Order: sequence, then C-alpha cells, then structure tokens
Amino acid sequence: MTKHAETRPMVYILVWLALMVLLVLTVGSAFMPLGSAHTPVNLAISVTQAALVMLFSMHLSAAHPLLRVIALIGFFGIAIMITLSLFDVLTR
Amino acid sequence: MHNNAAAGIAPQFDDAEQQRTAANLGIWLFLATEILFFGVLFAAYAITRVRFPDAFAAASRLTNLPLAGVNTAVLITSSLSMALGVHAARHGARRALIGWLSLTVALGIAFLAIKAVEYRIDYLEHLVPKLDFRYEGSQADQVELFFYMYFFITGVHALHVLIGVGCIATIAVMASHDKFSPAYYTPVDVTGLYWHLVDVIWLFVFPILYLVSRA
Repeated sequence: MTKHAETRPMVYILVWLALMVLLVLTVGSAFMPLGSAHTPVNLAISVTQAALVMLFSMHLSAAHPLLRVIALIGFFGIAIMITLSLFDVLTR
Repeated sequence: MHNNAAAGIAPQFDDAEQQRTAANLGIWLFLATEILFFGVLFAAYAITRVRFPDAFAAASRLTNLPLAGVNTAVLITSSLSMALGVHAARHGARRALIGWLSLTVALGIAFLAIKAVEYRIDYLEHLVPKLDFRYEGSQADQVELFFYMYFFITGVHALHVLIGVGCIATIAVMASHDKFSPAYYTPVDVTGLYWHLVDVIWLFVFPILYLVSRA
C-alpha cells in the first residue's frame, strides 16, 4: 500500500530551509502595517509550513490515498467545528 | 515463516510491506485523533478571540516572542534531525540513526527548557491566571481568559513534546541494542510521524498566541 518511494535527505534539508524562511516571514509580517490581514497571512504561512512537513517529512506525497484521506479527516473535522461554532458567535 | 520472524515480522503479517502499511494506517488514525484533540482547543480559542478581539490583541503582546521564536526554530530543526534519523534507519545505518535520534532528543529537551524559562518569566510578570494574575488595563478578565488558553494550549503541547522525547530516547536505546534493520524499523518510522505532527501543531500554536497584534 505504501510503496515507499525514497525521499532523499536533500528534500528534508530544503523543507527545513523553507520552514525557517517562512518562520522569519510570519514573524516579520506581524510587525508590518497589514491591518486586518495579519491573521490571514499568519495562518496562510502556517498552512504552507504544515503542508511541507506533512507532504515531505511525513511522506504523504508518496503515501497511499487512504493515508492522505485519514490525514485530512482531522483538519476537515476542525474546519467544521470552528465554522459551525462561529455561526453562533458571529450572528448574535 | 522462520525467515519472517528473524526479520522482525509478526506472525499475522505476510511480509514487511504489509506490516509497515498496517503500522502506518494505525499511527495516522491516532494522529487524526490528535489533530481533533487540538482542534477543540483551537475552536475554543477562535470563539473567544472573535468575542474579545481587543483583549486578545493586548494579551498577545505580553507573551514572550523572542523565546517562542527561537523555540519554533528549535522544533523545526528537531523535525529535520528526526527525518534524517528515519532515513538512516531505512538504510540500516545504525550509528547515524543513534546520532540523529540523540540530537532530536537534545533539541526536544532544549524546547522544554526554553519553555520553562518562558513560563518563569510569565510568572514573574504576573501573567499566570488564578495564581498571581495582575493586569492594570481594561478588560482584565478577558486578558486573563487569553492566558488560561495560552497556558493550557502550550502546556498540553509541551506534554506532547515530553512524551515524544521519551519515545525517541526509547527508540535510541533500542537502536543501540541493534533492534532495527532495513526490513524492520517500524518504531522509528511511527515515532517520527508523531514527532513531525507535534511540530505541525506548534506551527499553528505559535502565530495564534504570539503574533496576534505586534504591529
């Protein structure tokens, strides 16, 4: 099911480098005058970082579709939970 | 069958590939429940932040960004050393495996130590709810609410780091006893996946607690 396609060490190092650059970007963006865009920018960077780790360090890019679905179920659950909860708070 | 046993394959599996698949499926199911577990905390955070945006902005400015930034880099780096450890295990490079796992443990402990220093500074600045909380500005109750979340979310995350350090140290000892081979390194693989997820969760915890309003 998971025919382990070999991930080369260079890929892990590039992922690390990208994560570090994104860390600097997310901290830097917090000090820029972005107004209400701060949180969306921070979260977009976090999602990018998480995607890099999950696709390459956690090998989802080469994993069986079943594993990818299971990995996404958790995030899908959070999305539903937060969205439906906010329907209440935002419409009071 | 005897060959299977010698290669570390349990009797209920046909071959190494099937055993690895089952282990991967199991750990990913567990990780999905972990994502949901932290998801509840993120949902609680989202609701309270939407209700009290100004208090959360003011409270977030009181958190220690320099230490948390360094800690994020430490955790990202530990994820790299773990990935290289799994790579070493896959190729049966025992010494390299033990080295990478030891480095990962050291970085995990460094993360916890920095977190502890941060908690101490928070305490000295009277930011710990109930214990010694003091805040002079407006909406003190809502600011305190932020710090309840801050301590709960970072505390539960730190607990995950602590468990991860314990698991990785155990794997390192097993590796030194020559328990793994290219045909069987499931514990290394599975522990690595757990460690990466703890890293992923922190990548969300960091901005929502420390970067709410710095400009």
